[in-house]
Amino acid sequence: MAQRRTDGEVILLWTLPVTVIIWIASFLLFPGFNPPMSPTMSAEQVAAFYRDPAHVPEIRYSMIVFNWFGVSLIPILALIVLQVRRMAHRTPIFSYALLGCAAGSPALFLVANVCWLLAAFRPERSPELTQLFNDFGWITFTILVPFLIGQSVILALAIYLDDQPRPVFGRWVAYFNLLVAAALAPAAFVGVSLSGPLAWDGVLSFWLKNIAIAVWIVVMGVAVGQAIYRERAENREPGDELVSA
Amino acid sequence: MSDLAETTKRGRSVPGQPDMWAFVLFETLVFTAYFGFYLFSRARSPELFLHAQAQLDLRIGVVNTLVLLLSSWSVARCVQSARAGAYGPALRDAFLTALFAVVFLGVKMFEWARLSHEGNGFDSNDFFTYYFFLTGIHFVHLLIGFVVLGVLVYQLRGPKMRDQKLVETCATYWHTVDFLWVLIFALLYVVR
Amino acid sequence: MSEVITPAASPAAPPSGPLHQRIAWHWRHNPKRELWLAWWALVVFYSLFWLMFFVITRVQPPPRPTADLAAQVHFFHVRHLGIPVGFAVIFCIGGMIATNNALIAYSMRRMSVSPAFAYSYLIMYSLSAIPGLLLLCIALIVGTLRPERDPEAISWLYDFAFLSFDGTMGVFLIGSLIWMLAILLDKNRVFPKWFGYLNLCNGLTEVVVAPCWIFRRGVLAWNGQIAWWLDMVVFGVYTGAFIYMLRSMILREDFGTGPLPELKPDLERKPKAGRSNAEAAA
Repeated sequence: MAQRRTDGEVILLWTLPVTVIIWIASFLLFPGFNPPMSPTMSAEQVAAFYRDPAHVPEIRYSMIVFNWFGVSLIPILALIVLQVRRMAHRTPIFSYALLGCAAGSPALFLVANVCWLLAAFRPERSPELTQLFNDFGWITFTILVPFLIGQSVILALAIYLDDQPRPVFGRWVAYFNLLVAAALAPAAFVGVSLSGPLAWDGVLSFWLKNIAIAVWIVVMGVAVGQAIYRERAENREPGDELVSA
Repeated sequence: MSDLAETTKRGRSVPGQPDMWAFVLFETLVFTAYFGFYLFSRARSPELFLHAQAQLDLRIGVVNTLVLLLSSWSVARCVQSARAGAYGPALRDAFLTALFAVVFLGVKMFEWARLSHEGNGFDSNDFFTYYFFLTGIHFVHLLIGFVVLGVLVYQLRGPKMRDQKLVETCATYWHTVDFLWVLIFALLYVVR
Repeated sequence: MSEVITPAASPAAPPSGPLHQRIAWHWRHNPKRELWLAWWALVVFYSLFWLMFFVITRVQPPPRPTADLAAQVHFFHVRHLGIPVGFAVIFCIGGMIATNNALIAYSMRRMSVSPAFAYSYLIMYSLSAIPGLLLLCIALIVGTLRPERDPEAISWLYDFAFLSFDGTMGVFLIGSLIWMLAILLDKNRVFPKWFGYLNLCNGLTEVVVAPCWIFRRGVLAWNGQIAWWLDMVVFGVYTGAFIYMLRSMILREDFGTGPLPELKPDLERKPKAGRSNAEAAA
């Protein structure tokens, strides 16, 4: 079978550090994340937050940047899908499933993004409405985990079932993904309480979830980078090192 | 294209694919449920339904029923011709069927427009909700019928095709559409 | 494309014995384990789905659109724990939607038709999860968050949720038609034709639900006998049918590209590689 075309993958890969820097910058800029807004704030307090002249530009610019780059993780997910296709599976089901997961969380993130931007657009709106947008944004942002969990579990399974002498990803990547999936699960329970670890500013729903996502991005970035570079090295060597996929 | 296994065990088989008959049965059940709901609603407010039904023009309904019955006749003739190998006349009958269907659609849309102008719309009252709903979903089935006729024409045209079973399957669908209309006509227009 | 591995010298039949042993054997040796994994995930997903929506959150069957503000507020109040917990489970397992769609897309790849069908379906249904399921769950959770919220705002969330559920069926309509078309055109006989027509029935049912945007009462409202009850019956039959048909497909799968062999009494037949390839070349 002809070698698959891999031109440009390294470039796509190296967009990841850029994406990460932009995301971290926006994350730190958004006043709602530093520290995370409390769900127990009253409508007047929420309205005051959005009306605060120091906050308004920070909210808008950080969210606009997030809006631009919200989907920039998808090329990396595509690179992972292509590596999964190189695995020793009998069917393309794992890569299909991963593709199905790819757009889910960025789309939900964009919904949250839009809600916060709306809240900041007319801060003089009734505090009740501002609080509604804020609630919707926060719940969506916290609960956008289903496709991330799905992604991680599917990837872990794909790696387990990759039956070849030199698997595309090491087993540790599978265990890591399962760990991340478990770490993201509590965030789904964000609606249960307005305070405590499960609330959207709590240890589990905010800190654990976002740290898990950050670590996943970094680790998977490295893992897929290793896989890509190894594949390119193998393709350059003729002989029995040739990838038979 | 034609299923060798099925034609060899012809003997006692239904015209067209048995699968299509399964579909017909299912759709009939669904429509029966619709009719059931209709009759139930009607029993709850007979005055309203009677009064609203009077707004319908029976003549238009009769014309539509006749047109569709004619289309069934032409598609049946088409199947007969195809079975005898006379694909020219069969093709003509298929187009004739389509023509009748277009007439039906035209008359239906005219009727809808007139009713809406008179103030009897989809959400005017319960009767007209059912009326537009039932005739609407039937309309959709008729539109699908055009696709089916397209398949039929495609079969009759090319000398390579002409799978008789598929021709009969298409005709079966068409007869179902006609059959459902007769029921709708009886329920909405006639039963007062 | 995925690499096809010649299976190592493994026993042709799974060992009899305790369930966990048999499952372990299948996990390690069954060539169709990916497909079975996806299929079981499908079954688990729909079971949990039904349980969460009908029993834990009790948002289905849906409440009345004609409920007044006080009744709507009350609706959220009595579910203030059931909704967040039930939907939390849905959000944990939501990724299974992707595996469900992947299995169905795979069935279309196994057919003789263009891969475009599989990809279209995959994209459509992955997309549909957001407005058709996830957003409305979020709206309902937000509704339970603050009992002291303005009733008008709660009412907006109430409408948003239930209209989203019934009113975004367009995706399922077109998706069903795509699958139907693939099945009817397929020469590999992956599914019987009646299942293709059943997709049409399901598609038509989605059309019927659309008037829920117009009516607040009656048979076509979002909780109406036609728009919800009958629709659920058809959808239930359809879902049961496709779960069964996918299982049948997996049992018959020979990993070839030609027509799928019929189901024989002795399951797990070894694929006759020569025959499938010869048929594919024909």
